[in-house]
Amino acid sequence: MTATESHALVCRQLELPLCHISRPLAALSKIQGTVSTAEFLSHVEAVAQHLPEGDHAINLCGNRYLFMVSMCAVILRRQTNLLPPNKNPATQASLSERYPNTYVVHDGTEVAEGLSAINLDLLPTNTFQRKAFKSEVPRIPLDHLAAISFTSGSTGQSKPNNKNWRCLTEGVRINKQYMLSSALDQGQVVTTVPGQHMWGLETTIMQAMMSNICISDTSPLYPKDIQTLLLQLSSPRVLVSTPVHLRAMVMSGLSFPQVERVLCATAPLDVESAQKVEACFHGELIEVYGCSEVGSMAYRRTALEQDWHMFEGINLTQEGEVTIASADHVPELVEMQDLITLCSDRCFQLNGRQSDMIEIAGKRGSLKELNEILQKVEGLEDGVVFLPEQKRKVPRLVALVVMQEGEDKNIVAAHFRKHLDNAFVPRPIIQVKALPREENGKLPQKNVAEFYAAIME
Amino acid sequence: MADQSPAETKMAELLVEALNLEDVSAAEIDPEAPLFGDGLGLDSIDALEIALAISQEYDVQMQAEEEHTREAFSTLRSLSQFVEESQKA
Repeated sequence: MTATESHALVCRQLELPLCHISRPLAALSKIQGTVSTAEFLSHVEAVAQHLPEGDHAINLCGNRYLFMVSMCAVILRRQTNLLPPNKNPATQASLSERYPNTYVVHDGTEVAEGLSAINLDLLPTNTFQRKAFKSEVPRIPLDHLAAISFTSGSTGQSKPNNKNWRCLTEGVRINKQYMLSSALDQGQVVTTVPGQHMWGLETTIMQAMMSNICISDTSPLYPKDIQTLLLQLSSPRVLVSTPVHLRAMVMSGLSFPQVERVLCATAPLDVESAQKVEACFHGELIEVYGCSEVGSMAYRRTALEQDWHMFEGINLTQEGEVTIASADHVPELVEMQDLITLCSDRCFQLNGRQSDMIEIAGKRGSLKELNEILQKVEGLEDGVVFLPEQKRKVPRLVALVVMQEGEDKNIVAAHFRKHLDNAFVPRPIIQVKALPREENGKLPQKNVAEFYAAIME
Repeated sequence: MADQSPAETKMAELLVEALNLEDVSAAEIDPEAPLFGDGLGLDSIDALEIALAISQEYDVQMQAEEEHTREAFSTLRSLSQFVEESQKA
């Protein structure tokens, strides 16, 4: 194999710190503090020897360091990581049916019955020790299917996005030019996004492997935890997050240490919020636009500009209202779910979504599919799921249901919870006597909106 | 259903307001029933919203790194007690 057909597993200085370890997991007890690139590689090698035979590993590790080590160990064994949108045993079971020879790698999660699993937290503690790596950095063939990330959709069957090693390494090479400046080359990164999510995978895991940044092994949720963690790290700091988390930080009233670069994705941010974030952290907020199929595609400094600047290598073409994205390192053409206006100089503006598509807390779903799921509720006479205009920053779906005689709306909530990610479960579910249908049976959006507004008054 | 104390009723009202739970009234929330999972069916985004509302209303910051935060979120009663004790501290 020539060098051009493969890419190193990591591309960074061997002695620099790669990860800040602070979680009190048994497996990590001997490596609290920071772990260097060389130590990381020795851990990857050690874990690879413990992995079972198989073709696919559902990677559920919640600790970011254990996730990164096991992801690389799986790749080293020429197996494929499956990265589901949630840890539910039902999701695991459905993945193992779709993908043969699958096992689970985790650090303390409930595993679906009948699936073989390896818990990294129960490995001998000498697996993770301070041992330098003596061999050469392994190289991985570019066409190796390193990971399949699953788009958290509104249907039970989430959509697979194949990520071969070329796609991941080329993607991160491009991203780096826009997300990290040379001053941030050894930045300390805190993130609120899990490694399994494409945004977290690209920006924390892959970026850490291909640049000299140091990531944290935790994913703090509450503003106070984020503040505590940031204070433990030295400057320059980078925060990778989402509008939901950033809003909570800004509104907490806490004062944060300087964060030179804040990276935000998953849902659009407005100018005012972006300005507040910049003031809160005394740094620059770069908002990133992308999709699971392609990865990150464009950026803007939201506090100062509206237009998005396309990344090198990303191309958008249009047929009518439909925008198609392509990139050399992505094997397929991707139809975008947003309404896009192309401007000059490789810029574009976002003008909302195709009307069927909704986005809640960074997860995308189709209203049509959600309504199909609603119609399957036994005991339902009529019903509709919709996304009303609302003041909440994190919108929630609403369901209007007409139940058959003697049935209660509680079965609707239970049905949704069984089939959907929590973010898509409508709340409230309102039981009504009849839906505002027209005489011909149609249910125009306008009728639903007016009907709902009248109920809420 | 167990009775709500006045402090629990106030917390229940804050939850309903913060989470837009139009189909659940504050009085309907059982102080001893789980808030997450099969109870009210809340998720981590809700936890963040609740934490935000609590920081503004009670000036108490939730912290997952402190072990009792997880327990605090289990029921309306534990959440109300957690906030009361944090205010005293």
